[in-house]
Amino acid sequence: MQILSFSGFIPEQICDTVRFTGYPGDQKISHYCGYAADFISQVLDDPEINGAVFPRTCDSSRTMKSYMEGCGKFIYPFHVPARQDDLAVSMLSQTIRDYQNAVERYYGVTISEADIKERIRLVNERNQALSALYDRLDELSYYSYLEQIHSLLQKPLREQNVIEPDRAAGIGKRVYLTGSFLCDARLVRTIEDSGLKIVGDDLTESKRLFSAPPVSTEGDLYVSIAESMLKDRLSPTQNNFSAILRKDKEELTKKQVNGVIFITQKYCEPYDYLFYVYQKMLEEMGIPCLKLTRMDSTDHKNAETVIEAFVDSL
Amino acid sequence: MIQTTTQLQAKLMREYYQDFSRYAKGKQPSHKVAWVTAFTPVEILEALGISYIYPESYAAVTAASGKEQALLNESERNSLCPDCCSYSCCIEGSLITGTGPRGIPPKPDVLIATNNQCDTLPNWWNILADRYQVPLIVLDYPGEGMERESAYPYVEGQHKDLIRRMEELSGNKLDPDRLSELIGNSRQSVSAWERVCGYPAVKELPPTLLFDAISFLITSRCKPETAELYMLMEDELKELPDADRSRPALFWLGYPLWYHKDRYLSELLKDFRISGSNYITWWSLDYSGDTAMEQLFSAYNYTFLNLKQETKTARLKECIRRSGAVGAVTLHNKSCKCDFVSAKDIDIPQAELEIDMIDREFLDMERTERQIEILRESI
Repeated sequence: MQILSFSGFIPEQICDTVRFTGYPGDQKISHYCGYAADFISQVLDDPEINGAVFPRTCDSSRTMKSYMEGCGKFIYPFHVPARQDDLAVSMLSQTIRDYQNAVERYYGVTISEADIKERIRLVNERNQALSALYDRLDELSYYSYLEQIHSLLQKPLREQNVIEPDRAAGIGKRVYLTGSFLCDARLVRTIEDSGLKIVGDDLTESKRLFSAPPVSTEGDLYVSIAESMLKDRLSPTQNNFSAILRKDKEELTKKQVNGVIFITQKYCEPYDYLFYVYQKMLEEMGIPCLKLTRMDSTDHKNAETVIEAFVDSL
Repeated sequence: MIQTTTQLQAKLMREYYQDFSRYAKGKQPSHKVAWVTAFTPVEILEALGISYIYPESYAAVTAASGKEQALLNESERNSLCPDCCSYSCCIEGSLITGTGPRGIPPKPDVLIATNNQCDTLPNWWNILADRYQVPLIVLDYPGEGMERESAYPYVEGQHKDLIRRMEELSGNKLDPDRLSELIGNSRQSVSAWERVCGYPAVKELPPTLLFDAISFLITSRCKPETAELYMLMEDELKELPDADRSRPALFWLGYPLWYHKDRYLSELLKDFRISGSNYITWWSLDYSGDTAMEQLFSAYNYTFLNLKQETKTARLKECIRRSGAVGAVTLHNKSCKCDFVSAKDIDIPQAELEIDMIDREFLDMERTERQIEILRESI
């Protein structure tokens, strides 16, 4: 079972998936997120992949299924609520059950309560270990840290052993990364090579991955997983920009950040709208911001030039 | 007294814009004001005496009045990405500059967004929430992709929560009979409109009239005058000459071009007749069910863009079949990928145009002419 998952909204406590990081795909759709199009390409073209699971959280992901139907693989849209109240928790817990049932039916496997409890424990432990590393970013190479996470997310949960990243002295202007999944870690290397020190982020595979509260193994497991997912640091697709701004503002102030790099994909409306209010917040805080828009999951064009210009402006 | 279509349209317009006028004169609106997306269960708001305003619709009006370009430029200058829905860019430009064809809409007391049309609108409503610092309510409709037994309690719970919060805001208590009456009005409006939609296939009727007239189904569907208007319209349409069958029939697959005087590329399509459009069917909401809650669930959870691809394809094909169209003009609308993706499995000859429904400068006219010419040859 090699299911490619599109985002951090897919509950790892149910079964292993391969987290999509990037793929040089040839699917090109008008006004459509290149990252999503590359995901579709990998599902359709990669013989190693026999399934796909993705949330319906933006206009690209909500129409994704129509491009993959009929490919003979397990194609599962996962409904993530657009709100975070008790109704949403209840609905999401049912969605998680439905997802489990669909995986069991398609792959002919049984996922027991004990399996889920064990996976909850492993996710909690991994997240705790990553959180501890994040707290020490001042002394670590962010590139090494992020590369490790990308590598972990490709592996089965039981093999996701967190190791110590390379060290890097805490010098240079302090920058914070925010935006969607940072598919191409070369971008981080370019940022570090330019002399900037990455001291924090709000990326889906880093801070947002492990900041979900630990899932309890007491009571209804599905409700516990749903509660944790919805209390995570939020994605703009969950329609609570004010919560994102509040949390990021706290962290930017605490870490005395000199600049923010906002990474987004072309035609990614949730982040384009978030940027509009985010840059206003940064203006009020007196923090310069660089918006880096990538065309697809492997785009690295002009990165050095614009980052160098940003360094000069700092 | 029997009224004419003109009188009814004027009355509905006057009622819809009354708070704009008051606000422009520095007066407070007569009721609490909600800004809503186009598929919001407004029957609840109407029953509680809350005014509702559709920014999307106002962006269309702005483009129709030829004032959109300066506003689009202003929003871009203020860092709103021009790839975003141009309805939002146009309105944001309007709010930044404080200008619009009828002034700016009255300040909202609450913002209500739904995702039964697309996921972009709730994102847009977040930036409005940041601007006005008022409560934002997002109604999450899982659509046809989720089993009814799971979706119903979730949506019903949200509708009940909306009623509770709107009762608090308005200070009024919901009268269930009034809500049922308003849903009945909406159902009649839809029914009358669906009859009107059959006429472009058989009568000499450019789509302009319907593209403009549907605005009442969007903004005033639960008012009794809307059904009345469409019934009178039908009487008028019956008197039109029959369609000229010597001209090939085309289906307009996408939004009206709000900036265009005819709402479609009339200058390039003189040799054709437009016999149907999917846009005019989007508000054909199905209010089926035994209770008001069931009716609202059916209408708003199963909007066209919230259906599975196979259902959308089947409906579109049926729409095209009934229109008798032999080709289609399909808009790859920069502002709405959900719309053009739903048309991906249509199998009649098409001219697929890169276009935007608000931004007139987005269209490459030379390329479009070539595509229409290819369509002409292929049919």
